[in-house]
Amino acid sequence: MTIRTAEADIAKPLPRSSRLRWLLLIVGGTLLSLLLASGILAIRFLNEMHTQQQIVSHALAARTQKLSGLLLSVQSYNDAVQQFVALEQAARKPARQQLDRLTVEIDSDLKRYPTDRDSTEAELLDGMQNVFTQQRTLYISVLAAKPDERRRQALKLISDRMVPLQRQILGWSGKLQTWNGERLQHADRALVTEFGSLQGGLSRVLSIGFGSGLLLVLGSMAYIIRLERQTHGRYVQLAQSQHELQRLSSRLVDAQETERRSLSRELHDGIGQALGALLVDIGRLSTTLTDDRPEVRTQLDNMKSVAETTLLSVRNIALLLRPSMLDDLGLVAALEWQGREVSRRSEIEVSVESENMPEDLPDEYGICIYRLVQEALNNAVRHSGARNAKVTVEHSARAIAVQVSDDGRGFDPTRVRGLGILGMEERVHRLGGTFTVRSQPGQGVAITANLPFPPASGNHS
Amino acid sequence: MKKTGVLLADDHTLIRAGLRMVVEAQSDLSVVGEASNGREAVGMAEALKPDVVVMDIGMPSLNGIEAAREIRKTLPDTQIVMLSMHSDEGYVLRALKAGAKAYLLKDSAEADLAQAIRAAAAEKSFFSPAVGKVLLEDYMRKLQRTGAEDSYELLSPREREILQLVAEGKSSKEIAALLNLSVYTVETHRAHVMQKLNVHGIPELILYAVRKGIIS
Repeated sequence: MTIRTAEADIAKPLPRSSRLRWLLLIVGGTLLSLLLASGILAIRFLNEMHTQQQIVSHALAARTQKLSGLLLSVQSYNDAVQQFVALEQAARKPARQQLDRLTVEIDSDLKRYPTDRDSTEAELLDGMQNVFTQQRTLYISVLAAKPDERRRQALKLISDRMVPLQRQILGWSGKLQTWNGERLQHADRALVTEFGSLQGGLSRVLSIGFGSGLLLVLGSMAYIIRLERQTHGRYVQLAQSQHELQRLSSRLVDAQETERRSLSRELHDGIGQALGALLVDIGRLSTTLTDDRPEVRTQLDNMKSVAETTLLSVRNIALLLRPSMLDDLGLVAALEWQGREVSRRSEIEVSVESENMPEDLPDEYGICIYRLVQEALNNAVRHSGARNAKVTVEHSARAIAVQVSDDGRGFDPTRVRGLGILGMEERVHRLGGTFTVRSQPGQGVAITANLPFPPASGNHS
Repeated sequence: MKKTGVLLADDHTLIRAGLRMVVEAQSDLSVVGEASNGREAVGMAEALKPDVVVMDIGMPSLNGIEAAREIRKTLPDTQIVMLSMHSDEGYVLRALKAGAKAYLLKDSAEADLAQAIRAAAAEKSFFSPAVGKVLLEDYMRKLQRTGAEDSYELLSPREREILQLVAEGKSSKEIAALLNLSVYTVETHRAHVMQKLNVHGIPELILYAVRKGIIS
């Protein structure tokens, strides 16, 4: 009853631990997915940053290139104007064409400058264009003048107006260059800031994740340790109770044996003696009885037969409780007697063989082997339908081997395990021995016990 | 005529009292002492040197068989009548091996006791009729179940005669004188009997004879 309850307790899952398991799963899963998400986010962000930086540096390179192209064209234009002024009338025509070409080139250069410009950049470019337009207007006015006047004015114009304008263009272009540099720096700074914020976010997520992971691990560890302690405690309890149970059952066997012995003694000495004395008295009475009272003799005979029957059954009960031949004749003779008894009252012919059995076998061994054989033969009589049974006891160097076999119908020992077999096993285990039942349906039964003898010290108390 | 001195050994006072009355009722027998266990019986036998000890097998301290063996060892002239509740051959054979001459069942003790004591005192065997019956039944059952042959059929008439005389407790010399044969011839017959019956020693031979009802 108690055992059943304990089993049910073990089999029923504890609701608290199941909830904890779910919690652990959810928290662990969340942590892992958090880490995964932040990792993916960081990678994507880094990619984007890389692309942006590339765009920025491309833009800068393009602007620088265009700007230097522009400057080069303006320079060439100026050179061409100066040459043009210095040239003779005849050679001016191709130079004039050259100038026109350069003008168109500069215009297109200005137009081709990257269109994604901000206000400052546009302002600067407009400034440049204005200066250039002024320059051109100047040239055109120079060109439009009469040649001698032009020659006169030209050098003055160039030195007075052209050079400052030229410088202005250079100044504008320098400003543009600086602006471009600033823009690059600005973009870099923005990137660094963004990177910094990402880093901060990532490390926050990571530290939260790590912290809660650590907490989770510590919590789980603590819980596992507690569970382990509980399990260990239960195991110790279980082992203890098993040990107790074993001790109890061994004491039960002892107590049973003692009880049987005292009962047997009681029957034998008390009732048996009284009946024996009664029989002796009846016998004496009948010898002194004269023949003239036949009815008294009949009564006496009746009394005698009743007393005899009663004595016989008392004796049989006493014998069953405690085989006195074990005390009177020793184990081997008692086994032989047992075998003949079974042969007498059943259809089985029992043979008993013994070898090297010591004369002074301790009582606990004698009773163990005797009861084992008794139970095995009883089983054979009741269940096997055997014709022959064989009992062997043999003492070798370290053990006594007992075997009871029959040629009956056998059984499946993995399925059938009666109380009788359990009792035999218990007795054998108490003496530190091993016990086996070998049988198959139709193959008879062989019950074997091996008892260490002489017993190892401390084997039983 | 000198009375036969009897020592009674039984751990039950009532039984002893009953036995004493049976013995005292006989004019040629007298009880010389009573012992209540095997150890005491050995001591008293050595002190009193009775002609016959009537001994119960199941006794505390030292059982009847061990006590009988010790008494026979120190007092070869003292004969033993064994009292027992068991008619099993294990008991009978061990009692014989311990040197008992007579084997009585307690049930029938009062009827046969005087006769058994007289037989033992004359160094003859005596067994309760019921013992022979049980032994024979065991023997016949075994023969029947194992399909073996009754070895008694193998004996010649002369051998049967000698078996009976040996079982009755007679020595080879007595038998030779009785049958008018040489001691050597008697010994040869005896060896043949033992061989044919597959018995080892006089106690087993006596047991066999009791079983076959040759002696009682």
